[in-house]
Amino acid sequence: MVPIEHAIALSGLLFTIGLAGALARRNLIVILMSIELMLNAVNLALVAFSRLHGGLEGHVFVLMVIVVAAAEVAVGLGIVISLFRNRETVDVEDVSLLRW
Amino acid sequence: MSPEIHLGAVGPTLLVGVGAMLVLVAEVMLSGRESFLGRRVTGAWLGSMLAVISSFFLILALIVAWQTFVVGSAQVFNPSHPMVRLDRLASFSIALIALGSLLSCWLSVGYLAELRINHGEYYALLLLATSGMMLLVSATDLIMIFLGIEIMSIPIYVLAGFDRRKLRSNESALKYFLVGSFASALLLYGMALLYGATGHTDLAGIATGFDVSNPLAAMGLGLVLVGFTFKISSVPFHQWTPDVYEGAPTSVTAYMSVTVKVAAFAALLRLLVEAFGDAPPALGTILTVLAALTLVVGNFVAVVQDNVKRMLAYSSIAHAGYLLIGFVAATPEAYSAVLFYLLAYVFMNLGAFGVIVALAHRGQDTDRIDDFAGLASSRPGLAALMTLFMVALAGIPGTGGFVAKFLVFKAAVNEGVIGLTILGVLTSVVSVYYYLRLPVAMYMREPGGEVPRREIASGEGIVLAVCAVVVLVLGLFPNNAPIFLFSWIRALDWTRDSVAMLF
Repeated sequence: MVPIEHAIALSGLLFTIGLAGALARRNLIVILMSIELMLNAVNLALVAFSRLHGGLEGHVFVLMVIVVAAAEVAVGLGIVISLFRNRETVDVEDVSLLRW
Repeated sequence: MSPEIHLGAVGPTLLVGVGAMLVLVAEVMLSGRESFLGRRVTGAWLGSMLAVISSFFLILALIVAWQTFVVGSAQVFNPSHPMVRLDRLASFSIALIALGSLLSCWLSVGYLAELRINHGEYYALLLLATSGMMLLVSATDLIMIFLGIEIMSIPIYVLAGFDRRKLRSNESALKYFLVGSFASALLLYGMALLYGATGHTDLAGIATGFDVSNPLAAMGLGLVLVGFTFKISSVPFHQWTPDVYEGAPTSVTAYMSVTVKVAAFAALLRLLVEAFGDAPPALGTILTVLAALTLVVGNFVAVVQDNVKRMLAYSSIAHAGYLLIGFVAATPEAYSAVLFYLLAYVFMNLGAFGVIVALAHRGQDTDRIDDFAGLASSRPGLAALMTLFMVALAGIPGTGGFVAKFLVFKAAVNEGVIGLTILGVLTSVVSVYYYLRLPVAMYMREPGGEVPRREIASGEGIVLAVCAVVVLVLGLFPNNAPIFLFSWIRALDWTRDSVAMLF
């Protein structure tokens, strides 16, 4: 059996990769993928903790997260497409009309 | 064994959700027809019709929530595994959210037609977001809190980009989406860590298992707080607010600036009281720093804004700071002051955005401060109302904004939070400067050129009148008004009763 620490370490690593990607990358599609990676890191942690505690809450939580992530990415891609129709770009640097 | 289910606990949420589905169906059924019940189906008529359907369900939810509040006993959705509890805090917040959504709904009818974005999905999305907020404020389990936040946020991402031919609206939606989903991921990781550290996802279980010396638990609490500071737009996670508020259609800005704030603050209140009620003093320090930074940044950056929507966005950041003072004090008195503040804030802010909505003309917002020059001569009524709302937001005596600030400061001083209260008073002096720039422009400057005007839609008129009356009543008689018509308004008692059940 895989020790819980390994699963948590992997989840922390995945989350950090996703975090770095979401903050550092400029391509909108890549940012969306990075956010997905963060959510999946959460799923991994939840499943591992659920196994540690022997309860079902973690599994239920994971199902909720998967459904919500699907809805979120659908809306996100829709927003990116509507921006692309007006601007022909998927680079966040080009999206800077609103600045203080 | 089938569990015992009380549907009443999610009554308002269900009503509003069903309303959203019906609005979608009605839009499809009606928009394909030439005429309905002898009336020709036009875009404007369809818009009003859908607004009427939405209002019906929102009013039903409002009545149900109010009845629950009056009766006062908490209803739990599934007592063997409590995840949703409709207690007085939840029903008060739900009533407030329903009221805010109802007013935003009426505000939208004329505005959407003016901007030529009169699509039926608007009302469905508005109702869906509202049902998410209602779930959020009655959630007593991390899973439901997450679900509520997402059902609230996802429709609002779409609403922010609703004017999809305009680049500004696209950009607003994109920024809100990126920041919002990033924040949800952080919040979620915090929830996972809290679950790992305590073995529970319900707030009561977390309270028993929470131990701050466990690094997992401390990190989880920190990440959950970060997620919430994004939603309440407190410094240092506030940068999205001005961009999103400025770019989104004004009726959407009005809606999200008030209802999201109520929902997020009510959920944060429940989370902090029920799960972290006897949390370490470090939590108080963090909240103090957040509140101080939010007050300073919100109020000082608002001073240099030229766009009214942007100025109001920074003002909403500043108001989050005043609300956080109540969380630092963390007594029942302070929390009821927070609820009173939210109550007053809903009407002040909806009114202020309502005036901008009413001034929109030929598909454009007139939202620069220069556009307001000389408005007092061309639109005296709107200028007077805008002045009232600005004065209320600044917290000048006689308005709801003053009573709200006074209650929060009083609760903070009683609890010995002196430094933060002094900072709050000083920054509200700064806020008077930027709030009064608009009345100065309206009453003391000459109009800059051709003043555009449009007849005020009836919905906008009603919303502005309601907001103005409530702001004044809350300011002059927060409890037991001597005027017959308003004598049932006992806002102080309501807010006190709402939090009484939590302690």
